[in-house]
Amino acid sequence: MSFLRANTADEAVQLLAEGARPIAGGTDLVVGARQGKAPLPQNLVAIDRIAELGVIEATESHIRIGSGVTHAQLMVDPLIVDRLTGVADAAALVGSPATRNVGTVGGNIMNGSPAMDTGAPLMALGAVAELRSIEGTREVALTDLWCGPGRTTARPDELCTALLIPSPRDQIGSAYVRLEYRRAMEIAVVGAAACMALDAGVIVSIRLALTAVAPTIQEVTGLDVLIGERADDKSFAAIAELARDQAQPISDVRASDHYRRHTVGVMAQRAGHAAASRANGDLITVPVNRALGIGAAS
Amino acid sequence: MNHTNVTLRVNEVDYPISISTERNLSGVLRETIGLTGTKEGCDDCECGACMVLLDGQPINSCSYLAVQAEGCAITTVEGLADGDELHALQRNILEAGGVQCGFCTPGMLMSARALLDRTPDPTDEEIRIGLSGNLCRCTGYARIIDAVRTTAVELSN
Amino acid sequence: MQTFVRADGPDKVTGSGRYVADLSLTGMLHAKFLYAGLAHGRIQNLNVEPARNLPGVLSVLTAADVPDIRYSPVIPDRTLFAKDVVRFEGEILAAVAATTPAIAAAAIELIEVDIDPLPVVNDIEAALKGDCLLVHPDWEGYDVSGDTVRDGNVASFSSIEKGDVEAGMRQADVTVTSRYVADASHAAPIEPRGIVAQWEGEKVTIWTSSQVPYDARAGVCETLGLPSNRVRIIVPHLGGGFGGKCGFHFEAHIAALAKATKRPVKLVFSREEEFLAPDRRREGMVVEITTGLTNDGDILARQAWVGIDNGAYVADAAFFPQLAAMHVGGPYKVPAIKIDAQLIYTNHQPSGSVRAPTAPQACWALESHTDELAAAVDMDPINFRLRNVVRTGDEGIAGQIYEEIGLDRCLQLATDSIGSPTLADDEAIGVAVGWWPSFAAPAGAYAKMQDDGSVQIITGAQECGTGAVMTLRDIAADELGIDVTDIQLVYQDTAAAPTGPGATGSQTLLNHGRAVESASRQIADQLRELAADELEAAASDIVLGDGKAFVTGSPAMSVPIADLAATAAGGDLLLSSASAPMPDWPTVSAQCVGDQEMAAWLAPQFSCHAVRVRLDADTGVARVVEVHTAHDSGTILNPVGALGQVEGGVMMGIGQALSEGTYYDENGRQTNPALLEYKLQTMADAPPITTQFVEINTPNAGPRGSKGLAEAPNVATAAAISNALAKLVGGPLRQLPMTPERVWEAATEIRGRR
Ligand SMILES: Cc1cc2nc3c(=O)[nH]c(=O)nc-3n(C[C@H](O)[C@H](O)[C@H](O)COP(=O)(O)OP(=O)(O)OC[C@H]3O[C@@H](n4cnc5c(N)ncnc54)[C@H](O)[C@@H]3O)c2cc1C
Ligand code: FES
Ligand code: FES
Repeated sequence: MSFLRANTADEAVQLLAEGARPIAGGTDLVVGARQGKAPLPQNLVAIDRIAELGVIEATESHIRIGSGVTHAQLMVDPLIVDRLTGVADAAALVGSPATRNVGTVGGNIMNGSPAMDTGAPLMALGAVAELRSIEGTREVALTDLWCGPGRTTARPDELCTALLIPSPRDQIGSAYVRLEYRRAMEIAVVGAAACMALDAGVIVSIRLALTAVAPTIQEVTGLDVLIGERADDKSFAAIAELARDQAQPISDVRASDHYRRHTVGVMAQRAGHAAASRANGDLITVPVNRALGIGAAS
Repeated sequence: MNHTNVTLRVNEVDYPISISTERNLSGVLRETIGLTGTKEGCDDCECGACMVLLDGQPINSCSYLAVQAEGCAITTVEGLADGDELHALQRNILEAGGVQCGFCTPGMLMSARALLDRTPDPTDEEIRIGLSGNLCRCTGYARIIDAVRTTAVELSN
Repeated sequence: MQTFVRADGPDKVTGSGRYVADLSLTGMLHAKFLYAGLAHGRIQNLNVEPARNLPGVLSVLTAADVPDIRYSPVIPDRTLFAKDVVRFEGEILAAVAATTPAIAAAAIELIEVDIDPLPVVNDIEAALKGDCLLVHPDWEGYDVSGDTVRDGNVASFSSIEKGDVEAGMRQADVTVTSRYVADASHAAPIEPRGIVAQWEGEKVTIWTSSQVPYDARAGVCETLGLPSNRVRIIVPHLGGGFGGKCGFHFEAHIAALAKATKRPVKLVFSREEEFLAPDRRREGMVVEITTGLTNDGDILARQAWVGIDNGAYVADAAFFPQLAAMHVGGPYKVPAIKIDAQLIYTNHQPSGSVRAPTAPQACWALESHTDELAAAVDMDPINFRLRNVVRTGDEGIAGQIYEEIGLDRCLQLATDSIGSPTLADDEAIGVAVGWWPSFAAPAGAYAKMQDDGSVQIITGAQECGTGAVMTLRDIAADELGIDVTDIQLVYQDTAAAPTGPGATGSQTLLNHGRAVESASRQIADQLRELAADELEAAASDIVLGDGKAFVTGSPAMSVPIADLAATAAGGDLLLSSASAPMPDWPTVSAQCVGDQEMAAWLAPQFSCHAVRVRLDADTGVARVVEVHTAHDSGTILNPVGALGQVEGGVMMGIGQALSEGTYYDENGRQTNPALLEYKLQTMADAPPITTQFVEINTPNAGPRGSKGLAEAPNVATAAAISNALAKLVGGPLRQLPMTPERVWEAATEIRGRR
């Protein structure tokens, strides 16, 4: 087994082309190996100290989150908390402070777990993954990135360098909530992210994505019917209905499929409510779970 | 097995060692370097007993590759006291009754230290969240929270 | 309050304290076990040759390599290694010792094993059916001791019977029948167990993370056929136990490997092994209970059946039925009662004493039922309890007359403390009472004062974290009139100290404390004699204090104790040994079939817990917002330590109530043997807890009127939470733990019925 450290994305991409696999925080990779899920790759390239991957920046059209940004960074970064609040909600819930210190958004996304927390808000906000190999760079929408539990459409030699999110306009709010049985050290039982733009209380645009109710993070479709409606309890109930209808949950040790189906509706409704409040300019501190006392929080 | 030579800097001492790539940091600290203050209560990031600081930030050393820690300042519980002088956290956790079996204690102290470095005047909620990755089965946590609060006040004076 | 910095504290906060996993010896090998991996099956083939041939492997042992001995207290039903049949997934088939843990693990993989699956006895009610396969077809051949009643899959049966239950039920204005089902759970100490064994000639030294060094020694001696004086058990610091490290576990396997390889051998469990392999799981339980009462709220009669999931082997659980029967009966005045309790074999991990065995589940069932009783006669649950709980001089369910007790005070204090806060719509208060016996057992201690006046106390007590052993120093200091820092404890070494029960059954102070008190008192008496000579006074007038011996009433006439010690060093050495005198055991009048001596409770401890709970009704997620407790554990000797026991016990109780359940798949295998899926409460979940002690100088108890306190706080928490939740969902919760999904389902079902 070999272990190399890349100092630049170019170096990393070169090593990937030679067959190495990236390790960022290792909170999925090393933990998975210790649990016997998958052995560590033969050749590892550490990407956690590549400065250019650790940057969050706003361009005219986009907010660019470097793949090496940690959850601890995301949850407090002013740009994220202000403009992509749902992503901050999600990052603030990941594991424990230690997990958040080393776990990265790139690792979260590329690991492809259907229970990942940043996936749903990023999807609801229309994020695109920037993938780079020695052949060049391409952009893949998150809706096209995941193809099954732990599987992505990225090639093994591709490095995710960043997530690009179209700059949200004003009067847009996003939120992520998840069901958790205790207030820390949890994996989402189910979760939902909503992103909503309002004009004088009327829904102008809305996107919703769900966690842990399908083989991948799942976007809810058919929300167009709500455009032009008021962002009120009736609309939130409709969001819950759509989420429940489209979820394809399984039963496992954490929850039964019917409980997941029910609660993903509750989470969707609450995410919708919180996103609308934020679009209205109300302050709900990050993460919504702890601010509003949802699930295990209070 | 492939061994690499690395130098790990632990509690301000450099340790040149030869280890295989897949070894976890807690194992290397305990078995290769001989600092057994860092504990292992689980196999995979579930308990926090193995918490150490990497450049001041807490990490679960049981699930962190030792080779990946090269070039960072690693702090373990053995590095907390100043010679024979206990760190205020160590003293206060004892006086508050926040130590029972003591198995979670090293990890707890490391998380607390990182929290206070980052947030010198934490609210109770910040303490609860800051130390939420450290399970304690003995104390019910109340006395540990007291100790962190007392230390914050003491250090800020 | 006085601060109490424990003597082992500095070691623990600096990382210099050694736990078993921290030890290593030159030439040490590493052990791994091969487990059955399935819950029930017949071994067709077990070929360890390929493992033996792996370079780096020095020994592979199976049943063929150790004495063919069945062991366990009371019901010897198991062997060190599985023979012919495996009865639970964590049963050991083979043990490997190799130069590294990785080679040992690789060797395990090489062992060829072929097990024909047998039908799995996966639940206790199925186990009781006439046509059910027997987990132990040869049960009648086991050499059982005591008054143990067995039949088929019923490993042990006990009953408590008093008065005319049928008549009581006929007289009753109201009868209420309930059924409650509790899942198994785990002790889950944060330290996974470790063992190191090393032979020197014919003697073996075993360092082990045991709560009960003398039981561990007895197990090694029994299974390997060794006399006690050739087995030395040393426990370094112990990283918690909660009963999970009681009994005898794997010490003999490691000793046998060390013997075979002539090398020290070390075993350290993974967290998964810690969940699957030990015979110390908190037992699953079914309780069916009927109570008859008057419209005024007086209990007239109670009848119940308790089924306990024993798992595959009895370990120390033979007394569980009677103990559970007492808890289902409860600390109430019940004139007529009949409780039948069965310990039932299944193909699950064996059950064994985990912090207050049987009590949290049984109390949860009884106290939930008690709220149902109060509702049935339209009474406030607190008033209902005040009316029915036992008080000083009352007769308990088994006919014991209680000497001075403080349950009614506990009830008053805890409920006053929580008061009547304004509750939000999603909040409710729940209250429950609990009780727990003190267990007296033989224990010894040595004491010696050296020529400089410093003291060593040598005790068989075992510190598992509670601090109880640390408190022994205070007792000695008090007797000897010297500073506590002048006393060193020697403990956790069976070669040094006389025997004792160890850290089990909240017994440290009660038993080891009495022995230390008595041994110290003997030296104090010697000191008084010496001082009497020196000061020309009567020995009975000499008082020891502040490091001096002085004449009562004339403190100026004194001599330093260190001087007396120096004098003694020239002649009659200051040495003593003592056994804890056995207290008088209370008597009972109830009829007890299958008596396991659990119906008469020495110095019973009482408690009341009151909780405020918030429920997210849409998801069933509950959070405990505040907890108020009151405990009668007699005199409190170490307040900080005592509070720590209550707070830790409450948190464990919250876990048991809401998030800690061990689940089994249809093949009898645990589905959540990991801390991310078996959820202990985190610091983020911890509510504020208040504690008040009802300090009664309890007659016939431990030193200075103390009783035990390590288990009692674990008894009533889940029950109190259950009663709060029942108010919020509109009816009782019938399954423990009360997970969000179960709470939501119960609420949905109750709503549907309306
Ligand atoms: C105790 C615990 C709790 C957790 N709780 C949560 C939780 O609440 N929510 C949650 O979402 N997750 C949780 N996780 C999972 C994990 O922490 C996150 O998924 C984290 O974001 C992973 O990031 P990482 O940098 O550690 O990834 P790594 O483990 O380093 O990598 C994960 C995978 O992604 C690949 N990879 C990493 N970076 C890149 C890149 N830039 N380009 C291409 N491929 C890449 C790696 O090769 C690997 O296959 C938890 C983990 C633990 C141990
Ligand atoms: S040992 Fe690392 S988290 Fe448990
Ligand atoms: S003191 Fe024992 S686990 Fe915390």
